[in-house]
Amino acid sequence: MRLFQPRWFHHPLSVAAHRAPGNTESGSQTMKISELLAPERIRIAAEAGGKKRALEILSELLADTSQDLSRNQVFTSMLGRERLGSTAIGSGIAIPHGRIEGLEESIGAFIRLQDAVDFDAADGAPVDMLFALIVPSQCAEEHLNALAALAHMFSHADFCDMLRKAEGPEDICKLLRGFETEAQQSPA
Amino acid sequence: MELTNQVILFIGLIFLVSILASVLSARLGAPMLLVFLVIGMILGEEGIGIRFDDIQTAHLIGSLALAIILFDGGLRTSTSSFRVGLKPAVSLASLGVLLTAAITGLFAAWLLDIHWIYGLLLGAIVGSTDAAAVFSLLHTSRLELKQRVAATLEIESGSNDPMAIFLTLAMVELILAGQRHLDGTLAVEFVRQMGLGAVIGLGGAWVAARGINALPLTPGLYPLLAMAAGLLIFGITAAAGGSGFLAVYLAGLVLGNARVQSVQNIRRFHDGMAWISQIVMFLMLGLLVTPSELIPVGPHALLIALVLIFVARPLAVLVSLLPFQIPFKEQAFIGWVGLRGAVPIILAIFPLLAGIPEAHTFFNVAFFVVLISLIVQGWSLVPAARLLGVQIPASSHLVQRLELDLPGQPDYEMVGYQVDVDSSACGRNPDALVLPEGVKTVLVIRNGRLHAPAEINALESDDAVYLVTPLAHVDLLDRLFVSRRAPQLQADKRFYGEFTLNGTARMADLAAMYGFVSPPDAADCSAAEFLIERFGKPVVGDRVRVGPVELVIREMDGDHPDKVGLKLLQE
Repeated sequence: MRLFQPRWFHHPLSVAAHRAPGNTESGSQTMKISELLAPERIRIAAEAGGKKRALEILSELLADTSQDLSRNQVFTSMLGRERLGSTAIGSGIAIPHGRIEGLEESIGAFIRLQDAVDFDAADGAPVDMLFALIVPSQCAEEHLNALAALAHMFSHADFCDMLRKAEGPEDICKLLRGFETEAQQSPA
Repeated sequence: MELTNQVILFIGLIFLVSILASVLSARLGAPMLLVFLVIGMILGEEGIGIRFDDIQTAHLIGSLALAIILFDGGLRTSTSSFRVGLKPAVSLASLGVLLTAAITGLFAAWLLDIHWIYGLLLGAIVGSTDAAAVFSLLHTSRLELKQRVAATLEIESGSNDPMAIFLTLAMVELILAGQRHLDGTLAVEFVRQMGLGAVIGLGGAWVAARGINALPLTPGLYPLLAMAAGLLIFGITAAAGGSGFLAVYLAGLVLGNARVQSVQNIRRFHDGMAWISQIVMFLMLGLLVTPSELIPVGPHALLIALVLIFVARPLAVLVSLLPFQIPFKEQAFIGWVGLRGAVPIILAIFPLLAGIPEAHTFFNVAFFVVLISLIVQGWSLVPAARLLGVQIPASSHLVQRLELDLPGQPDYEMVGYQVDVDSSACGRNPDALVLPEGVKTVLVIRNGRLHAPAEINALESDDAVYLVTPLAHVDLLDRLFVSRRAPQLQADKRFYGEFTLNGTARMADLAAMYGFVSPPDAADCSAAEFLIERFGKPVVGDRVRVGPVELVIREMDGDHPDKVGLKLLQE
């Protein structure tokens, strides 16, 4: 089928890109969200006065000395993406993301805000939960799949309600894992 | 006395049955007008036994009802739809009707073995799409179409009846005069009818708008004043030899878009009036026909209907839309929505009134064609829209809201919402609501008591919130009060994609962010420019695939895509 598509339809990086942690023997390209996240990159009851501050908190969580990833790099990358349009997906959720050159593997961070902040969301709703995703720039397809999986996950109102009630980082990790197992059992 | 009471009882009963039948038709997906028509036939001489064959009265009621329906259609058509719909619609309403009438007419002449001028008469009778049928389908079948399609269809159906009426009357006159060829007088007549219709319609509405704003009346009288103006404009135009139908449609259009006080009131009233007109008109037309007389013309009428639906209309649409940049699927849909309705049946009364031989056959053929069109096209409209991908997720009425006119402030409206426990407004301080520009919260009602917004700490479920908003932002406010469990939100996401981009986002930046190679012609432009390049006059719902993502227009600001959905495609 690809043969008939114009040249710019190809995303040339996609074939080489495959190192997703969730890439199992079935060859499926779904990456596990729970594996992107570690409890130490989750913060609940975070205080942020506005969008910028929320992104800064996420950048701090994502900064990673082992990967040589600085806070500033992350922040600049996510801010650049916000300039194209808010990453708020509605109902109080935002998924800031960015691609960074030379990164070895994708990582995520999650914060829940004490007070929701205006995030320029299309639905006008202020945002109180943010999942940030940073991926190596060579992993185009993995990036898209992870984003789509995140957006899908956060479009479940019941699931979001549970995240809002979760009492600590461990709970949140558990909820994410639970969601994924369930999704695997009933692929809808 | 006794008879009067019985008649009133009977009228009440018929209305009730007709209105309840509309619920049934929504369930069945059948066009409501078909239901009314059938009820009329059941009540008629070969059903319950009401005899009605007064052609003169039928003509009067039909014309009056049509005038009101067109007026209402005009009131509801927003001039913002002109941006994409006007030119194609005008082409369809003139050239399109002519082609449809000519193709259908010549086929009918050949089939029925009659002189071609009689054939053209029949073609003209069935030549126009029906405003009542199209408006009611567009507004009631829970179908939200892309603006390019909806606007084109709506303006076309509102403005093509005058063309069909003109052609029919012209043919009748030619036949009566014993003429057997077309000549220049036809063109002169055309210019006179449409010219007068346009001038008196637009001028009259301008005067009416001033009048409505200047006169201090009881609020209930403004809608009646508007209707009086509409009928007056119709009458004056027709008396002066112009097209009253064109005039009354244009008058509605001007009034509906002018800054007129009480405009909500006027619209709501005419919405009801248009319903009554449709019910009465279709019931009456059902009464007028003798079903058993339809059977002999059946086979021929069926062939004519099929040629009309499958050949004449699609061809006419294709040719009329040639100069415009309209995607093929949308053209196909417009071609399919060539719904015929009351107009052909009323037009078929003209030759009867004029005493033209064959007129009776024409009436029955026209009736049959309308039935077929309503059944075949009316019924398949929603599946066709789905199949051809011309739908967008419903943007309005996400949530129940109350709309109130502000006296003397035609640019603003007051809207009221009930706070839903799952909405983003719930639990929030009224001051902390992120409101579109110019919107003010003015009142909160809790447990039957009035509170100023400042007195409320956090909105609770079942509070009623009242806001004053510029008209442009009404739909945006819905998003604050809609439940996040509303199924529409999921449908929205499936359609527009996960993220929303600004129209100003550079294509090159998007390409870098999502890992695709920017289309060669787009590397240097913004997403908005890219979409304009692709679609000419883009509308909400237009989509282009680039690499692994799809760009879907979400909001327009005039001619510019303002918000663009980003849909991640997974393979």
